[in-house]
Amino acid sequence: MDALFTQMFLGALFFGAITAAVPLLLAGLGEQMSEKAGVLNIGIEGMMIAGAYFGFLTAYQAESIWLGFIGGAAAGLAVALVMALLCVRLGLNQIVIGIGLTLGLEGLTALLHHIQFSRTYPRLPAPQILEIPLLADIPVIGPALFKHHPMVYLSVALVFVMIFLYRRTQFGLNLQAAGDKPAALDVAGVDVATTRTVAVLATGALAGIGGAYLANVGAGLFVPFITNGAGFLGIVLAMLARGRPMWVLFGALLFGVSLALTTALQVAGINIPTDVIQMIPFLAVIVMLVVFGRRSSLPAALGIPYQRGER
Amino acid sequence: MKTLQITGVAAVLAAGLAIGVAQAAEVNTIAVLTPEEGTDFGWNQQGVEAAKAAGKATGVEVLVAQGLGYGDVRPTLRELAEEGADLMFAHASGYNTAAPEIAKELNVPVAIVDTPTALTKGLIADYTLSGHDGAYLAGRMAAKLSRSGTVGIVVSGEPPSWNSQSAGFAEGVKAENPDVKVIYAVIGPAAYSDAAGGKRVTESVIAAGADIIFGQGNGSSFGMLQAVETTPAPDGGKVLFIDVIGDKSSLDKGHLLSSVIWDITPVYTAMINDLKADTFGTKSYAIGLKDDSVKLLKTPQVPDEVWTEIMGLRDQIIDGTIVVEPVFEATEVRARMSDVKE
Repeated sequence: MDALFTQMFLGALFFGAITAAVPLLLAGLGEQMSEKAGVLNIGIEGMMIAGAYFGFLTAYQAESIWLGFIGGAAAGLAVALVMALLCVRLGLNQIVIGIGLTLGLEGLTALLHHIQFSRTYPRLPAPQILEIPLLADIPVIGPALFKHHPMVYLSVALVFVMIFLYRRTQFGLNLQAAGDKPAALDVAGVDVATTRTVAVLATGALAGIGGAYLANVGAGLFVPFITNGAGFLGIVLAMLARGRPMWVLFGALLFGVSLALTTALQVAGINIPTDVIQMIPFLAVIVMLVVFGRRSSLPAALGIPYQRGER
Repeated sequence: MKTLQITGVAAVLAAGLAIGVAQAAEVNTIAVLTPEEGTDFGWNQQGVEAAKAAGKATGVEVLVAQGLGYGDVRPTLRELAEEGADLMFAHASGYNTAAPEIAKELNVPVAIVDTPTALTKGLIADYTLSGHDGAYLAGRMAAKLSRSGTVGIVVSGEPPSWNSQSAGFAEGVKAENPDVKVIYAVIGPAAYSDAAGGKRVTESVIAAGADIIFGQGNGSSFGMLQAVETTPAPDGGKVLFIDVIGDKSSLDKGHLLSSVIWDITPVYTAMINDLKADTFGTKSYAIGLKDDSVKLLKTPQVPDEVWTEIMGLRDQIIDGTIVVEPVFEATEVRARMSDVKE
């Protein structure tokens, strides 16, 4: 057993854990912003797969993963614009529109992939890795935490940006009010629809970057349905974290580490059913966030369209 | 009067028989449903191409519904039935609940996978296929060519077809060299399109020492291929990949060692003919080395002498000297993998 759990193997496991966690973190942070503003963004899976496809397309054509992230963000933003128009401006049912967008974009990206890439399946070169000096040399932990694509560090930094935004800025307060008491925000002279629209658009951009990361760094290619439910996991993380960005980070990391654990247990030949092993990530996230996140609550007006003057 | 009655009864019986024969023989259109596009160089492509080839061979029209995902396909099944499909191939294990339901509802025969117990005469047939004997040969080849003495199996799920090939591969490795370690990892419960998961798990298996990966997964197999291409083996050398069902030679960057290639055209053709002969849903179907419906792909990575030896083993399987039994249960498959404590 010792021969198996070499530094190289453990490093690869935890590297994979972080890589798997980043798209969930970005999707979860985005969803959290939408939910804070009162919009239940079920369409985030669609935004992610749009970001994955256009992010990959851009990275492949421009030969730049960074331009790929911009392409992914733009695609997620475009989908979010539709969501904002239909759900925030027109007040249509957020769940129905979200599901419709997800199904539509899964089909659209599969079709576009079929037309463009289904005979060639292009793959990107291995992504650029940024080593944090000294820290990257620590055995096992170093390669796992401090030898990643720069987007990993930016994603973690974004957590602290979000905390600052929610706690220290007027816009953060506006978001909270748009989700809890939109009428009060309206009375205070702040446009509820605009506040919610900004939140939904930011969600789309973040989900798009998450999708682009998944395709360009996580896989190095695009295949239809590649997000495989990552957007829905982002919704779960946001719902269970209940407004706290740090808990989204913990949840995403826990999920990633649990995924790595499932691989480790299988590779070690632990003789229990694979299905049981593969429940670990889902159980771990739910248990942790339910136990530690239960004191906070979801916004009172979550999922309820706001129309001025309506009671 | 009595003569008239007998004649009448005979006429009714003859008419009934004639109608029965006509119903059994009438197959004008078939349909195939696949969860991903039929361009995946694997399971989905094989399903679509085999349906087209079988349609051409039997002179029937073929309707293709591809890229349907892994959700509810009942609406698509109903649409295809309305369009005139006389037989529908529901080419995904995820469809084996919906398809029989629709078959009973609309009385249109369906063929499903991974459910041998569902056979219903004239209505439901199963084609749980296995290239286990081809996978056995791939295992023998991998054991001959592994530098590290460790090979890996990465799968996107544990459907019976994957299981039997995983077991066949492991059996082949152990038959060639019992000291070679086999590492087994499943990406997820149904991670057929999880390319990122395929890459992540394959990288871990390579880091655990494997320098040859036997990969089974539809879209996720491209993630495995990407991992093999971008991750060096622990000794710094090249990692090689053995694929299943399709031929990815045109996409290869020098890491494709082989593939256990399937051709399910004979199975689909036999099903159409069985429907015409009123024997549909009464038997099981198989692919194998003998008629080349299962065969190994030769790539430039395979040394000629190794290929010759493998072809010799193929002949021994065909003549019965070597017997490779299919193993469909996941628990039995895992039991055949190396214990790390060995």
